[in-house]
Amino acid sequence: MSEDMNLSVNGHSKVPPGFRFHPTEEELLHYYLRKKVASQKIDLDVIRDVDLNKLEPWEIQEKCKIGSTPQNDWYFFSHKDKKYPTGTRTNRATAAGFWKATGRDKVIHSNFRRIGMRKTLVFYRGRAPHGQKSDWIMHEYRLDDNTTTHHDSTINASDSSAAGQEDGWVVCRVFKKKNYHKTLESPVTPRNDGVVDQILMYMGRSPPSSSSPNSCKQENEFSPNMDHDHFNNPNIQSAAAGFMHLPGLETPTMNPSIHLSDQDCGGFKSTVNDLMTDHHIRGPSSDWVALDRLVASQLNGQPCKQYSTIYGTEDQFSFPFDHMHDDAHEMQLLNVDSSDRPNDHQTETDLWNLMTRSSSSLSSSSSDPLCHLSV
Amino acid sequence: MGDHNSLNLPPGFHFYPTDEELVVHFLHRKAALLPCDPDVIPDLDLYPYDPWDLDGKAMGEGNKWYFYSRRTQSRITGSGYWQSIGVEEPIYSSGGGQKVGMKKYNAFYIGEPSQGVKTNWIMQEYRLSDSSSTSRSSSRRRSSKTNDFSKWVICRVYERNCDSDDDGGTELSCLDEVFLSLDDLDEISLPN
Repeated sequence: MSEDMNLSVNGHSKVPPGFRFHPTEEELLHYYLRKKVASQKIDLDVIRDVDLNKLEPWEIQEKCKIGSTPQNDWYFFSHKDKKYPTGTRTNRATAAGFWKATGRDKVIHSNFRRIGMRKTLVFYRGRAPHGQKSDWIMHEYRLDDNTTTHHDSTINASDSSAAGQEDGWVVCRVFKKKNYHKTLESPVTPRNDGVVDQILMYMGRSPPSSSSPNSCKQENEFSPNMDHDHFNNPNIQSAAAGFMHLPGLETPTMNPSIHLSDQDCGGFKSTVNDLMTDHHIRGPSSDWVALDRLVASQLNGQPCKQYSTIYGTEDQFSFPFDHMHDDAHEMQLLNVDSSDRPNDHQTETDLWNLMTRSSSSLSSSSSDPLCHLSV
Repeated sequence: MGDHNSLNLPPGFHFYPTDEELVVHFLHRKAALLPCDPDVIPDLDLYPYDPWDLDGKAMGEGNKWYFYSRRTQSRITGSGYWQSIGVEEPIYSSGGGQKVGMKKYNAFYIGEPSQGVKTNWIMQEYRLSDSSSTSRSSSRRRSSKTNDFSKWVICRVYERNCDSDDDGGTELSCLDEVFLSLDDLDEISLPN
């Protein structure tokens, strides 16, 4: 089967260096899925049909590989299988586990027009409700019900036949969520520029004066207005792990320089770890009611940005890039913080547990992780 | 540039080079004066383009622009300047894990040098690592020549937009991550 996938494009034996199959959502829906639904021939058979119930996620990457270039995501068409003949629920169980939807579906637009929806699913090993969450993620794209009826004429001829089928075919993208172990196994993955990018996310929010000497005071402010992606960054996770193993913050003799020794990632990563660790140790003397509101707003689907208005201006947040080695100074800030509000730090530990815990490693926190959720 | 349209790739194929490909394929061939196939990355040398003027001049793919340039201490453009944020990452080859290059991060500031206003524009500047060029040249005699090679860099410029959820579906969105962690709550048995 996979011989078919050796790409031969106009005489080229393979995709040229630097290029890979990485369709936009619009291309997936508007080109590939529309053609599929309309039973039109797709020039190059790069997206296979897959029976999702018969294929485990780790088999998908072999089945759906394209040429020999390294891939981080895999694509296939799938039939939606009704779980019960009369119902609308979809059966996405495999032999080893099941795909479970998470969050809410996202509308996909093309030129400001709605063309389809994206559902996010997570693969759990085992059987519901005792499945174990994995890092395999699937985005399942479907065309809008009315998409095939009022757009341009390219597939009009087959509209009638498509109408009966259109909720049958979906196009899926499967990928593995970035995690710590993956980074360790393969230090150079095609898209591993996440670490610095995460930092840049912070920096993007910091004011241009962040390098000015008077920003130390601002660093004391903790802004929960951060993207949740940070919690899945391997380095941040390990930084958080380091944090959780600290002695209680009320202990005045705490050592401020936490260096992670369990990985040999070179100077840069340990710098990042120091940075993040420092940041989160120093940061949190803040209003937890506000953080509760953040979680609540996330639950309600409001964008993170709104939150910055609750919390004041972004200028209050400054990334401590210029002070990463200023341990003595940070120690002072730390002591002030921890003596003031020891309980807040316990609270933060809980939140970290909540956010960073993988399904298999429940933390040993003794208090109820839910107690700070106001929803 | 749009040069890559001549490659006639089907929809969905885009220029998403890995760090290693940029360094080992494109940068090394450029430095060694070998023909690049496909020849998609234009050479903008040290032209003082502002990042938002790169469209149509550099090779654009998605929201990223690629071009060859040369190493320089100061990148001053029409409206501002690029300044290193002090972070460099080594690039390793996937085969042997050998260090083949370095990636340096710069941020774009609008205004006069040292008093500009920082923007969300980021430039990743790829250069060959010295060790990679010396290990490739078998003799000492040629290493002076490879020093010239290392003057070439590849720049990847993009605007970081914190609020954008337009990830192309290739990663979990910020919101998805939150939902994902909240899913765990379903399975926690509350102590009471």
